[in-house]
Amino acid sequence: VRVRKPARLTASGARLLWRMLSALPSGGPENLQRPPLGPSSRLGIPRPAMTAHSFALPVIIFTTFWGLIGIAGPWFVPKGPNRGVIITMLVATAVCCYLFWLIAILAQLNPLFGPQLKNETIWYVRFLWE
Amino acid sequence: MGSMFRSEEVALVQLFLPTAAAYTCVSQLGELGLVEFRDLNASVSAFQRRFVVDVRRCEELEKTFTFLQEEVRRAGLVLPRPEGRLPAPPPRDLLRIQEETERLAQELRDVRGNQQSLRVQLHQLQLHAAVLGQGHGPQLATAHTYGASERTPLLQAPGGPHQDLRVNFVAGAVEPHKAPALERLLWRACRGFLIASFSELERPLEHPVTGEPATWMTFLISYWGEQIGQKIRKITDCFHCHVFPFLEQEEARRAALQQLQQQSQEMQEVLGETERFLSQVLGRVQQLLPPAQVQVRKMKAVYLALNQCSVSTTHKCLIAEAWCATRDLPALQEALRDSSAEEGVSAVAHRIPSRDMPPTLIRTNRFTASFQGIVDSYGVGRYQEVNPAPYTIITFPFLFAVMFGDVGHGLLMFLFALAMVLAENRPAVKAAQNEIWQTFFGGRYLLLLMGLFSVYTGFIYNECFSRASSIFPSGWSVAAMANQSGWSDAFLAQHTMLTLDPNVTGVFLGPYPFGIDPIWSLAANHLSFLNSFKMKMSVILGVVHMAFGVVLGVFNHMHFGQRHRLLLETLPELTFLLGLFGYLVFLVIYKWLHVSAASAASAPSILIHFINMFLFSHSPTNRPLYPQQEVVQAMLVVLALAMVPVLLLGTPLHLLCRHRRRRRRPTGRKEDKAGLLGLPDASVNGWGSDEEKAGGLEDEQEAELVPSEVFMHQAIHTIEFCLGCISNTASYLRLWALSLAHAQLSEVLWAMVMRIGLGLGREVGVAAVVLVPIFAAFAVMTVAILLVMEGLSAFLHALRLHWVEFQNKFYSGTGYKLSPFTFAATDD
Repeated sequence: VRVRKPARLTASGARLLWRMLSALPSGGPENLQRPPLGPSSRLGIPRPAMTAHSFALPVIIFTTFWGLIGIAGPWFVPKGPNRGVIITMLVATAVCCYLFWLIAILAQLNPLFGPQLKNETIWYVRFLWE
Repeated sequence: MGSMFRSEEVALVQLFLPTAAAYTCVSQLGELGLVEFRDLNASVSAFQRRFVVDVRRCEELEKTFTFLQEEVRRAGLVLPRPEGRLPAPPPRDLLRIQEETERLAQELRDVRGNQQSLRVQLHQLQLHAAVLGQGHGPQLATAHTYGASERTPLLQAPGGPHQDLRVNFVAGAVEPHKAPALERLLWRACRGFLIASFSELERPLEHPVTGEPATWMTFLISYWGEQIGQKIRKITDCFHCHVFPFLEQEEARRAALQQLQQQSQEMQEVLGETERFLSQVLGRVQQLLPPAQVQVRKMKAVYLALNQCSVSTTHKCLIAEAWCATRDLPALQEALRDSSAEEGVSAVAHRIPSRDMPPTLIRTNRFTASFQGIVDSYGVGRYQEVNPAPYTIITFPFLFAVMFGDVGHGLLMFLFALAMVLAENRPAVKAAQNEIWQTFFGGRYLLLLMGLFSVYTGFIYNECFSRASSIFPSGWSVAAMANQSGWSDAFLAQHTMLTLDPNVTGVFLGPYPFGIDPIWSLAANHLSFLNSFKMKMSVILGVVHMAFGVVLGVFNHMHFGQRHRLLLETLPELTFLLGLFGYLVFLVIYKWLHVSAASAASAPSILIHFINMFLFSHSPTNRPLYPQQEVVQAMLVVLALAMVPVLLLGTPLHLLCRHRRRRRRPTGRKEDKAGLLGLPDASVNGWGSDEEKAGGLEDEQEAELVPSEVFMHQAIHTIEFCLGCISNTASYLRLWALSLAHAQLSEVLWAMVMRIGLGLGREVGVAAVVLVPIFAAFAVMTVAILLVMEGLSAFLHALRLHWVEFQNKFYSGTGYKLSPFTFAATDD
């Protein structure tokens, strides 16, 4: 058995990958019939479209979610000696988690540069994710 | 609201305890654990206090207890735990306990002594029997036959006739490690005049004192001449050998042996009886000792507490001063009433005003106790200042999680903590003695929350054991880029690295809805993106955390009636902080929202803008983010700088003015106060009930107002705040640094261990077998390096951020805890 160095996928490795990928039910029947890695293969075949991510929808969903926890939740805490502490915990959790999520999505809203990918990754991602 | 937000109200109470009932009252108070006694006899040494005799008696009794305990332990028995409620016994019972204990101790000592001497005797008998029974055959034979044979000329000593040489014997036993030395010395000293034979016993004998088995060496020395005999005896004495009389005749020896064996049998029977009696005595000790120990400990504690009370002039009652929570005052009075009613007298307690700062009391349950413990480790809060603990319950695990974010590691931590929480009531778990386990167990709720938040931040960072997951489809389309840039396979084969350009239509489809896009984990430049993201995140979180700290100070100022500080300290502080670093946060968010990839090449650099803001300079290559940016920035800097003198001089000047105003009309004000309150002042921070806050406090305190001290204090505070703003904001960058370190360690572990394991072998069988040890190594290193080491590291840094950066905005931590007089600590 030849010992492969896993870090660098050689051309034969890529072909093996392609064979494995074609065995997977990814996309439609066109993928299975595509000849291996020819330049003309891509031009006539319709690409499945990637869904565009909206910005407004996640904002609305998460704002409502954390808003319910942080603003509406305190009204439903039962009376008892720990009421104050539980309300503080709910509000603090809501604020911290919402802020953290908001920072993450805002940072990716207008990217100034894109990811730099290896060519093998491009091959792989192209056929697996789309 | 809950009482965790600030300390409960604690009052100083004065207790009048009639002498007859003093002991029972204090004992009852110890059972309840409500009050902390103040030492009224601090100037008196321990030997001159009233109840020193009783304390000494208790201590002597405790010494006897220790002796008994040691004896029980030596016998290999265990003292059972005392059952039920054991109140401190009345003083007259002490005599009874003392007598019983003394009696038991004496019996034990006697029995032990007997047992010891019996053992020594038995040992001697056994040695004697062994020496006699040992066969030194050849020597004896030679002694008879070679008495006057050819051998004699060889053993001829210079001088001295041969005729009166008669063979004598010395028989004995010597310890095995001394035998060679003995042999050598005998040979050197008496060479030629003796024959010594050594042989080892087959069975080891137990040493009577230590109980260790030792194999003795018996020796038989046959010698000629009286002087040699004396020499030999001296030598054997020197070596501490046991020498026994040796009879030459065989039958005599056998008779002696028989007698010895009989004697040793009898001795063993007696020894058995002694040991049975000893175990009986030990049984009685086991019964008596545990409750007696608890009772005497409580009694001693009560006497020590009584020693702190002062005796009234009429000697009829003891006066005690104690701190007690206001909420517990009724319970205190009831307890005093009940315990003194038995004696027919009445003990009372009433509240007195106090000049000193009361201790802080914050009641916690098992969940909040660990968070309060974190805050208290830094410093116990001043009386009634804002307690950071309820906010720490969430912010501490959150900041930990920001530095630790990984779904897999967080889940492991959460499950570990959950196991501890679910098993917390099991007695085996509670009784564990291991200190490290106790540390982890004590912080189980902390670990639970830390793990939970780490799972959340792990999802946001999109890392699970350093692997990203695509819960939603990625927002970057590689195919679109490839198609529109004409990335043919030949092109790809030539170029190993290619970058996706967000300017190309269809490449960037929108921000990933929850967390970081999974494409970044495949990218070679993912650190460039993540670093920028995490740095900005750290600054935003830091500014928010610190602003929250400054806002908490508002509650302190309002509670202590120092509203001038709202305007003269909180407002300038907030303006300074938010004007400079809040503006930085604004710049960051503005750039995120408004600068898109289309203008990426000429994107403004926030860093350069921020530097220029302070230097009032301008970089032509750096375009502004919004129109009139420079004007706005200049205004903000000027405003912030203007706040510094307000912060520096505002409060001291205000206090000085007020002081002068009060002094200018002293008489009127003082009379008003006397009429209104009738109570003296309180400390500067104005603890206590509302009447005292109203204004009586400043009166006498202002008389001691030292201007230079106030100015100095405020100058230190100003410098600390302003410089601290900058350094503390930078300090929050550790959130970025540690999360980066964690991500990289995690990545390296995966790449170096698991990926190699998963890539080995094409046949399924080989891979499966090889994966088992590889996964074991991965698991061990994950737990040891990533969970334990990184966990401790992130814990430490989150703790530092809380203690220093957050708490120095509002918390002084210079109080002391209410430690009530209670027996609970002595009851183990």
